[in-house]
Amino acid sequence: MRHRLSASGRRLGTLAGLFGLGVLLWALTPHFLTVSNLLNVLEQTSINAVIAAGMTFVIISAGIDLSVGSLVAVAGVVLASTLHAGMPITIALAASLAVGFAFGLLNGLAITWGRLPPFIATLGMMSIARGCALLFTEGRPVSGFDPAFRSIATARLLGIPAPVFVTIAVYLMAHFVLAETRFGRYVYSMGGNEEATRLSGVNVRLHKTLVYGVSGLASAVAAVLLTARLNSAQPIAGIMYELDAIAATVIGGTSLMGGEGGLGGTIIGALIMGVLRNGLNLLGVSSFVQQIVIGLVIVFAVLIDTVLKARKG
Amino acid sequence: MRALHRSILYPAVATLVALAGGCNRAAGTGTTGRPRVALVMKTLNNPFFIDMQRGAEKAAKDLDVDLVVQAADRETDVERQMQIVENLIQAHVGALALTPSGSREVVPVVGKANAAKIPVVIVDTRLDQKAATDAGVKTASFVGSDNYRGGQIIGEYLVKVANGRAKVAILEGIPGHETGDSRVRGFKDAIKGSPGVTIVASQPANWERDQGFNVFQNILQAHADIDTVFACNDIMALGAIEAISAAGKAGQIRVLGFDAIDDARRAITDGKMTATVAQYPDEMGRAAIEAAVKAMKGEAVPADIGVRIGLITKENAARDSDKK
Amino acid sequence: MTDMSQPAPLLQMRGICKQFPGVRALDEVAFELQRGEVHVLLGENGAGKSTLMRVLSGACARDAGEILIDGRPVALHSPRDAQALGISTIYQEFNLVPHLSAAANIFLGREPLVGAGIINRGKLLADATSLLRGLGTTIDPGVRVKHLSVAEQQMVEVAKALSLDARILIMDEPTSALTESEIDELFSAIGRLTKRGVAVIYISHRMEELARVGHRATVMRDGRYIATRPLPCPIPTLVRLMANRDITQHFPTPTRRRGAPLLHVEGISHPPRLHDVSFTLHRGEILGVAGLLGAGRTELARAIAGADVPTAGRVVLEGRPLRVRAPSDAIRAGIGLVPEDRKRHGFVPGQSVAANLALPQLRRLARAGVVDRRRERALATRWIEELRIKTPDASARVLTLSGGNQQKVVLGKWLAAGSDVLIVDEPTRGIDVAAKMEIYQLLDRLAADGAGILMISSELPEILGMSDRVLVMHQGRVQAVLDAHEATQERVLQAALGLAS
Repeated sequence: MRHRLSASGRRLGTLAGLFGLGVLLWALTPHFLTVSNLLNVLEQTSINAVIAAGMTFVIISAGIDLSVGSLVAVAGVVLASTLHAGMPITIALAASLAVGFAFGLLNGLAITWGRLPPFIATLGMMSIARGCALLFTEGRPVSGFDPAFRSIATARLLGIPAPVFVTIAVYLMAHFVLAETRFGRYVYSMGGNEEATRLSGVNVRLHKTLVYGVSGLASAVAAVLLTARLNSAQPIAGIMYELDAIAATVIGGTSLMGGEGGLGGTIIGALIMGVLRNGLNLLGVSSFVQQIVIGLVIVFAVLIDTVLKARKG
Repeated sequence: MRALHRSILYPAVATLVALAGGCNRAAGTGTTGRPRVALVMKTLNNPFFIDMQRGAEKAAKDLDVDLVVQAADRETDVERQMQIVENLIQAHVGALALTPSGSREVVPVVGKANAAKIPVVIVDTRLDQKAATDAGVKTASFVGSDNYRGGQIIGEYLVKVANGRAKVAILEGIPGHETGDSRVRGFKDAIKGSPGVTIVASQPANWERDQGFNVFQNILQAHADIDTVFACNDIMALGAIEAISAAGKAGQIRVLGFDAIDDARRAITDGKMTATVAQYPDEMGRAAIEAAVKAMKGEAVPADIGVRIGLITKENAARDSDKK
Repeated sequence: MTDMSQPAPLLQMRGICKQFPGVRALDEVAFELQRGEVHVLLGENGAGKSTLMRVLSGACARDAGEILIDGRPVALHSPRDAQALGISTIYQEFNLVPHLSAAANIFLGREPLVGAGIINRGKLLADATSLLRGLGTTIDPGVRVKHLSVAEQQMVEVAKALSLDARILIMDEPTSALTESEIDELFSAIGRLTKRGVAVIYISHRMEELARVGHRATVMRDGRYIATRPLPCPIPTLVRLMANRDITQHFPTPTRRRGAPLLHVEGISHPPRLHDVSFTLHRGEILGVAGLLGAGRTELARAIAGADVPTAGRVVLEGRPLRVRAPSDAIRAGIGLVPEDRKRHGFVPGQSVAANLALPQLRRLARAGVVDRRRERALATRWIEELRIKTPDASARVLTLSGGNQQKVVLGKWLAAGSDVLIVDEPTRGIDVAAKMEIYQLLDRLAADGAGILMISSELPEILGMSDRVLVMHQGRVQAVLDAHEATQERVLQAALGLAS
């Protein structure tokens, strides 16, 4: 049972970190532990959390996806343009999700059939997708949507912002896929030992391609939230979002080596980053110091994992 | 063991944060009892905004209010700026001065400030009129210089010094930015009457120095005959100056900028740059905080507060530097 | 020192103790090594050989005990100390940089320089050449290591150790990846070393080669020193010391009976290692595949199992030709492969025993893509019991199991998938004696239940003891197919060497 305890133990540790951070902020500022601020943090975390959910699939499969930020931009401008063309919301959502998924699949194909390292394939896509978004919009934001669409970001149910529900839904679904389905098993197996998985008769190419599709899909969901939130889709949106998503994933204990990790850790990782940023704003800490602190948290979180693993042998 | 390690570490890091925060003059939760206002800027890696911060801090001191200054890491990151504003609303600041990273995109968060009854003063970049009207958001005031007029001023100056003959490259800011668009429009309108002044290339360099360098270097490759570059801010102009000297064309190309930051003034004094438009961001910062404090107290504030604007050339580059 | 006629041994280890959480890995172990001696260290897996050698090489700190060199106690607490004392280890996995030349590898980090940071290439090559020639090999020191064979890379490792003035050389399973002729070369190189006074600590599971190379053998069991015997010594005696019991019978008595033809392989090719191989495998049969390293045995296994796609030939299963383009095609047809390199190809180390057992047939265990955990659990429980896999429970990660139990998990994958044809490539490599016996019994039982088994092995006794027929490969082709009664060590070896019988 030891192996089990260590995995969930790590997650508990991350959770304890989040809790400790919360207690500290509660002690330092009266504005932190209020219902409206906590809801505010959840809402702000939603976009990164959704992208990180897709990133978790990719990283567990021993890959990396640097293109997510650009995919957010592409999916966003497609969504916005479809809405501006007078299409119903459902069609626009479908178009945007389809575009995100398709770009993700292209990443996957470049990696599986083109045999490119994921770092390179998605680095290329990062630029290609960004260029597509800029070209598609001639560099200009597409803004102004009707309230029905904007309600994706602005609606409240029981006082809780809609993006929080979207995030919860995304995580429940993603967790189900990762933990309960064949595809989820294959994601872990490919990340843990790709060749053994292939020799077990798994169509590694297909499933790996799908992993990147999932990541693209998650980016598109994030694009919907972002566009509704800003009431605008910018072709320059999402620059460097990949780093926040990777950070949330690794703070959550998913190993960059692949094969290990899970969404429970990732959501906590995303919340740690969100709470940290929120708290630093509330405390009025200078923007420069904020960057240092966030960097330190990322490095320390991963350092602890490395040290513990090294000690375990 | 693992749980223990993490639970010890995070608070440790957070303590560090708290210490860092404690050192920061702007920190505080109103413990001083003084009213608190916030200035949220696009970024802090542009001297323009550093000057703005300086002016704002001076005003806050004079008016005896606490000032919180925050900015996103990148000028393009509207979402992050939005988060900062949301967090400051949670921290119940008395008033907010905001330089929008996106003239349409920040409208929703200004709406949130309205709902929280926190007056908002917009600085430097106007909100998109239509978006603001559609959303029904209210701002206490706009503080800024007229970017369109600034573009006109420098365009008129070019027509004069070039005797009506020039081949011009334009380095634009981020596409869709009200500020850059207005400057370009003003510039183009000013040269309209001179058929000898032609624009041969116009490319975005996203407000950044390295991109100003690269984009202009590429433009030079395509158009060797360019004799003037107009960059929509000085940062890009300084990048273009590097590209010019790298191409061995120092002194052969007029460089026009915008903002009159210190480095640009120095470049003009040194003869590497031709002219720029002074924007006086420190005055903007001061006026913004003054307006914010008035609005907070419920006093009347003019809807539009103009900050002076002026042409800076070799004649006045050093003399006009009155902000130090 | 005091008695000049009887100089102190080169190395003495006394009362070495090492405690790991829950295990006493070394308990008052003693070991002694003379100059110019090849001293074999014997023991089942987990007997403490590796830990003792890790202590000696400074990789692992001892809890108690002393180490003496030339009769003087030495401080040995780090790999650096060990290197300074002239102790070098050659591990099974070599520590070489594949893109650098042999010479550059030998002197890595200690390159002869001309000036500040500029390598003296002439001296580098000359020194490397003389070291390699001293070992009796003809390796060109300028060739990149990745182009060298395993045996040649091993020689480079030995040369590297010598360049460090090694007086004590620890060799861990040095022959496991070598062909017979390469083993001869290795042994002659070892002979040259011992003449120069270098002492070798030799760890091997290959009992039959010990007497050829070793002077003495020390047996360890359960972290304790058991006995030291001069070599040659009867193998049963050594085995008894290792296992503390008589292993009169190395192989189970067959219970299987050969049935109808199951698998025809016709003219299968995958150049450059596999050319036009044909054979028939019957139900209830274990067909041994023998051959030297590089004879194409693993390639044959991979081609049939769809791991590689053959360029020519066909596979017919019970009269139906198969179209195998990927492992999944072979698996669907009922062909399972237990690969040679378990760790790299056999299982997913970070995943649970249950997940590994279920991996090839998640399709069957899942409804609408959702894995039925109850059925998965039931399957795992069944095969853990049936194969007697020693694991705390079905959710234990495979990497926490011993080698033998890992191998059982890999076998279990295919048994659970109901494979008719089982291809096992080196099924007992790196597995202790008791676990080997269990694997043999398992293979026999499977054949008795009607499966056909293709068993590739480099251990001749295993081939001879287990096979109903032996297929001998040489340079990618079938050299001979021998019935059990005609397959002798000599005949198999002759065929493997490509000599006509």
